[in-house]
Amino acid sequence: MTIILGIETSCDETAAAVVQDGKTIISNVVASQIDLHAAYGGVFPEVASRAHVEAIGVVGEQAVRDAGLTFDRIDAIAVTRGPGLVGSLLVGVNYAKGLALATGKPLLGINHLEGHVYSLWLTQPVREIVFPVLVLIVSGGHTELLLMTGHGEYERLGGTLDDAAGEAFDKVGRILGLPFPGGPNIEQAAQQGNPTAFEFPRARTDESYDFSFSGLKTAVMREVTVMPSAAARRRERGAEKHAVLRSDISVNDAAASFQKALVDALVEKTARAAKAYNVTEILMAGGVSANTALRNAMRAATDLPVRYPPLNLCTDNAAMIAAAGYYRYIAGLRDDLDMDVRPNWPLNNETYGAPAGVTAQS
Amino acid sequence: MPILRDGELDIITHSAEQTRRLGMRLGKLLQAGDVICLAGDMGAGKTVFSAGIGVGWGAVTPLTSPTFNLVHVHTREKDNQRLHHLDCYRLRGPADAESIGLDDILNGQGPVIVEWPEHIENVLPRQRLWIELRILEPTRRNLIFDATGERYQELLRKFRQSTFGV
Repeated sequence: MTIILGIETSCDETAAAVVQDGKTIISNVVASQIDLHAAYGGVFPEVASRAHVEAIGVVGEQAVRDAGLTFDRIDAIAVTRGPGLVGSLLVGVNYAKGLALATGKPLLGINHLEGHVYSLWLTQPVREIVFPVLVLIVSGGHTELLLMTGHGEYERLGGTLDDAAGEAFDKVGRILGLPFPGGPNIEQAAQQGNPTAFEFPRARTDESYDFSFSGLKTAVMREVTVMPSAAARRRERGAEKHAVLRSDISVNDAAASFQKALVDALVEKTARAAKAYNVTEILMAGGVSANTALRNAMRAATDLPVRYPPLNLCTDNAAMIAAAGYYRYIAGLRDDLDMDVRPNWPLNNETYGAPAGVTAQS
Repeated sequence: MPILRDGELDIITHSAEQTRRLGMRLGKLLQAGDVICLAGDMGAGKTVFSAGIGVGWGAVTPLTSPTFNLVHVHTREKDNQRLHHLDCYRLRGPADAESIGLDDILNGQGPVIVEWPEHIENVLPRQRLWIELRILEPTRRNLIFDATGERYQELLRKFRQSTFGV
């Protein structure tokens, strides 16, 4: 029996969790800062790192206590090393290093995106995952389509060329005057709206598996807002140059139509890749995978099983970091105490150094 | 191409693709230490223009929106310069700027692109190329270049030359 303590502070959740054998969550503590940031309409880095500093000690100890364990019963400490906000990542990594030093337990630096992938393994008691599988990671900062051929083996098929899916939700939410975060609020508005009210453009459905959501965001803005007149702009130079929401627009219809356009793009490319690479199932992870419209559309578009995490594991958490850490731990991998944070760390076959026989691709 | 005064340039682009190509021309001319500020509303084309700069500069990975991570770092093959791409929408003043390591970024060995620069204007260097992107119509954008300091006036002269041949 292997027990991993996971630590996650890459963005706005301070989280710690204890996971057994990469599958069973023994404890899972998440201190969300969402109320803290909602007032600003986004995560503010300085506020975030200060909140992490205040919460991390309590959260870490609570995770171990909730598991009914003590620190010496832990086999290894897994911590998110990147990608994320540098100030936030540092809090978790430094805390994990301190624990590793104090307890003598090995330290594992985990890629946050790989953590999202392994949130799917925490659903395993139901049915084992058989490789190869297609993984769609959709969150506030990431939109990645990966072919996973084994533990720790990822071929990146595509990703966003501009805005991430969750970022598009947040930005369109802002345009529509909905509260932060955009995802759940747009989904809620969309339930009352007509998804065919507006014909928003789908990103170019060319051969590639890349996504583009910036044009969609601009198209929504074009439809639902008006620019103040040039004269008004001159009068208040610099003050009111922002677009204003049209009063004759149904926010619910705009939300539903936007959501449909975004979901269509995600589903079309994912279903096509699943067919092309002959995978056994489609895995979705990350905050946007909590979206019901996306889940339903994905299931409708393919005969393959579609797996997604329960809602509390879609958003950032430390159980997924512990699960990813387990597979690195049993593979005999360890990190040094001088490990640094990697704010722009991509997930592909070179994430942890290229395996033998794999050549780098640009 | 109206020349408002030395150090200013006013261009209208008619498509996102044209905005991107202008960025490419600017990216080819960038040197280590250059600070390029891109101001303008959401959807004005800041990231499109940045993506063009990245291509012109020779970035190995495409420039995407830095909104979530606040800072993206890019490299190129011909030397070990690093291009920093910032989104300051969620920054409010010096403490936030410090938390993303702005000092190191500005003293670093490469050019810096700053989106939403107005949010941290008081901590940005006074010498810089400031570009304001304005939405005119669905696909038309007005780009106003404003160069402060000798290096940036020189950069703008070269950019004008490569874009308009004069």
